[in-house]
Amino acid sequence: MFRRLLGNFFWLKILFAILTGLVGAALLHLVIVISLPQFSQRDAYTRILAEGENQRFYRLSEKPDRAGLLKDDPMVEMTVCAFDISEAPVRLTAPNGGVPFWSLGVYDSSSNEVFSINDRTSADGVVDVVVGTPAQLTVLRKSLPRGFAQTVLVETQQTEGYAALRSLTTHKSFGPLVSQFLDQATCAPFQWRSRSQF
Amino acid sequence: MFRVPFLVAIALVIAFGGGIWSTRVALDATVGFGAIKLGPWEAFPEAQTEKADPYAKSHRANAGRILYASAEGLSFTAQTDDSGQRLTGNCTYRLTGQTPTARFWTLFATAPNGLPPSANADLPVALNSRAVLRRPDGSLDISISQRARAGNWLAVSGAGPFRLTLTLLDTPAAGSSGLIDLAMPGIQRIGCGNV
Repeated sequence: MFRRLLGNFFWLKILFAILTGLVGAALLHLVIVISLPQFSQRDAYTRILAEGENQRFYRLSEKPDRAGLLKDDPMVEMTVCAFDISEAPVRLTAPNGGVPFWSLGVYDSSSNEVFSINDRTSADGVVDVVVGTPAQLTVLRKSLPRGFAQTVLVETQQTEGYAALRSLTTHKSFGPLVSQFLDQATCAPFQWRSRSQF
Repeated sequence: MFRVPFLVAIALVIAFGGGIWSTRVALDATVGFGAIKLGPWEAFPEAQTEKADPYAKSHRANAGRILYASAEGLSFTAQTDDSGQRLTGNCTYRLTGQTPTARFWTLFATAPNGLPPSANADLPVALNSRAVLRRPDGSLDISISQRARAGNWLAVSGAGPFRLTLTLLDTPAAGSSGLIDLAMPGIQRIGCGNV
């Protein structure tokens, strides 16, 4: 009875199909929005990995490079480094060459901020940060090698991530200084066992 | 005879077409929820954190930009002037007032979906807090125009619409959204054409 009634109203069926489609569209919208971060190939971490090998800094330029990354601000120079701390912590350093401003952001592989610091919040304005898992840093703290009193230890559960170091070029005359500062930045695996033995 | 496949096809086309289209529009239109809006200025202090909403996370995964962390800075963008009209290169604007507390700031204009201007450009396409002149009370007065202006001048290239980006570096505004009273400079339109 119901079916025959519906069959007589073909337009009603089309309306029902459209409604079903709209509900499906809303569901698909939510599914894409929520799952996009998991499968995106265009996110910042994937692009930094595409720059080249891990654990070294890459300067970004004004034009998108082959990985599709560029610096967002004409006056802010930046350099990025992807790291993997599953084996050993990573140490991020850069000497203080008198740049007017620098800031360092550490992110996990899904681009969530883990830690950030700038020249005023650091000790002596020097970039010296060790990022490690809680287990690695517990071992490190037990026998802290000499010269690590001012190192900032950052704990994270995520073993993969990236760091971005920025510096501001207030005037063109600061350009070489800022370039030198960023080019001297290191992002290397931290081998503390060999050093703490003596 | 083909009624049922026809109905199924309608439902599927609307579901997939509408779902993909609406997602693209939503991710292009906004960075997500949780914006601080101060007049025409807009910033997303939590877009780079774990607390960001799903739209913000999806947007940043798709855009692939490296966002400012909270100790680094906070980027405000404006697409309109104080009266709500779109900023275009045909018109001349004045940016006046104070920025929220910050150690430095930078200001530049970009075309929609365009690259930021080059720092080596011949015209002053980007300004920063150390390179501008201020009024006796420390407030700003910056002219934004295609043609050269006296005083502080931010050059805009092209007659089309543009977007202003004012980035505050090392600012308490990035950490505590809503707790402090923030005020951003106003953007007044002076006139269009040859003014």
